[in-house]
Amino acid sequence: MNRVLALTRSELRLIFRNKTVLISTLAVPLGLGLFFALTGFGDGSGASIIAMQLAMVLGLGIYVAATQTLVARRQNLVLKRLRTSGISDAGLLTATIAPVVLLAVAQMVLFAVVDVAFGLPMPSSPLPIALAAVGGLALVVTAALATAVVTPTAERAQITTLPLFFVMVGGAVVLAFLPLEGIASLVNLVPGAPLGSLANVAYGGSAFSLVQLASLVVWPVLFGLLARRNFRWDARA
Amino acid sequence: MRRPTGTVVPGGTVVVMTETAVRTDIAIGVRDLRVRYGEFEAVRGVDLEVRRGEVFALLGTNGAGKTTTLEVLEGFRTRSSGDVSVLGLDPGTERHRLRERMGIQLQEGGFVDELTVAETLELWGQLSPREDRVGRLVDRFDLAHRRDVRVSALSGGEKRRLDLATAVWGSPELVVLDEPTTGLDPAARRRTWDAIQELQDGGRTVVLTTHYLEEAEALADRVAIMHEGRVAVAGSLSEILASRPSSFSATLPAGVTPPPGIDGPAVRVQTDDLQRDLTAFLGWAADHGVPLTDLRAAPASLADIYLSIRSEA
Repeated sequence: MNRVLALTRSELRLIFRNKTVLISTLAVPLGLGLFFALTGFGDGSGASIIAMQLAMVLGLGIYVAATQTLVARRQNLVLKRLRTSGISDAGLLTATIAPVVLLAVAQMVLFAVVDVAFGLPMPSSPLPIALAAVGGLALVVTAALATAVVTPTAERAQITTLPLFFVMVGGAVVLAFLPLEGIASLVNLVPGAPLGSLANVAYGGSAFSLVQLASLVVWPVLFGLLARRNFRWDARA
Repeated sequence: MRRPTGTVVPGGTVVVMTETAVRTDIAIGVRDLRVRYGEFEAVRGVDLEVRRGEVFALLGTNGAGKTTTLEVLEGFRTRSSGDVSVLGLDPGTERHRLRERMGIQLQEGGFVDELTVAETLELWGQLSPREDRVGRLVDRFDLAHRRDVRVSALSGGEKRRLDLATAVWGSPELVVLDEPTTGLDPAARRRTWDAIQELQDGGRTVVLTTHYLEEAEALADRVAIMHEGRVAVAGSLSEILASRPSSFSATLPAGVTPPPGIDGPAVRVQTDDLQRDLTAFLGWAADHGVPLTDLRAAPASLADIYLSIRSEA
């Protein structure tokens, strides 16, 4: 555990040393999240704002940033070298991703404070939002590991992360506005869509469904299996 | 299963040792190792034995299977078949336990560019189960004046030395070095040799690969030369050199007929009995009053053996 913490500290220090990473990890999602809160994004009901804040922090702050970090560390052979140290493989991946996760969680807390300060309507039940945050976290972390499998360079990560990022944000936005029911609720199966639909549930817009739960569980499991099977530690094929 | 055994030393103290400790001085044992990549077999039945406390050099042509063999020993590559034991552990299933006792320098391995030399070593120390001091290592590898410089600003040779410093952090029981002096200038190479010698003096086992034959001759107690996935020759340097013919050469004056069976005037003879044949040749020259120029005699060199393995293939 001490080794994971030591590497996490080192990675965190690196984020604050690299302005480009700092902006993409911290400033952009933070700025967008504040923008949504200040402008009353969408119908101003709260569900759409919280869904977008979650989607931005999870998508940009973790998914894109973690994929770039993993691929960059692999590309310059750092992952390969660190595997020769005393840290376990799981510990190495955890410590590499942990700093962006910590910063993202800090941003979520900040958004909660800002939303309260700006008088955003409070959800009738905060549990669905907590579920969306935890499930979303599992989704983006495993998705970052899986996307790293098909991403040869850190520059290419800006492209390979786009499809899932847009699907996630799109799904979250659509389902925050539209409480789909019946067969249409299967849209919840799109990765990230439960961020919106669970925000809607939290504000009493629709009922909680097992499809949402299935989506929260199935995608991280699939991405996790894909990464476990195919993750490469070496930049060389 | 380790079975405790005991012996009484003067003074009546009972020294308890495990059966493993009593039984073996083998650090690495490899039997019929095979590694396949699809249809291609990169390692084709390698047998190796590395004794505790020795420096063992693995030589070979590019693509001979050296790095693949090392990766199996390090636990980074899955073997297709064969038995492998490193410090009594199976690297395929006990890589993490092995890492506690093993230092590794990869042929290619990177560091985070934004960290300084000292920060890199400090981090390494926090990730390592062994204790050491950053100051000792930057002094040892001539990086003291660069300790606050970021890795991105280091030269290739300096990065290689930093790499080696991390590999020997805490003087691990076994150190595996994949081409440790590639890219180093002669002075840095000499310091690396000294560091390897220091490890051996401290009772550590060192396995290294190198393309520099003089490095193997200078450092290794025993060598193995790999070619096309197999060990072509293995043993101590003296054993290997003794198994190959020695040679002597000389130049005869123009117009002198060389002794029977020898071509001249540029004489070059390969022999399994240097003393006998050279004595006979010198006797012939003395008897016939023939002045010899450029007279040289030498046992086989590692370079000769290396080149002959390549040409025989």
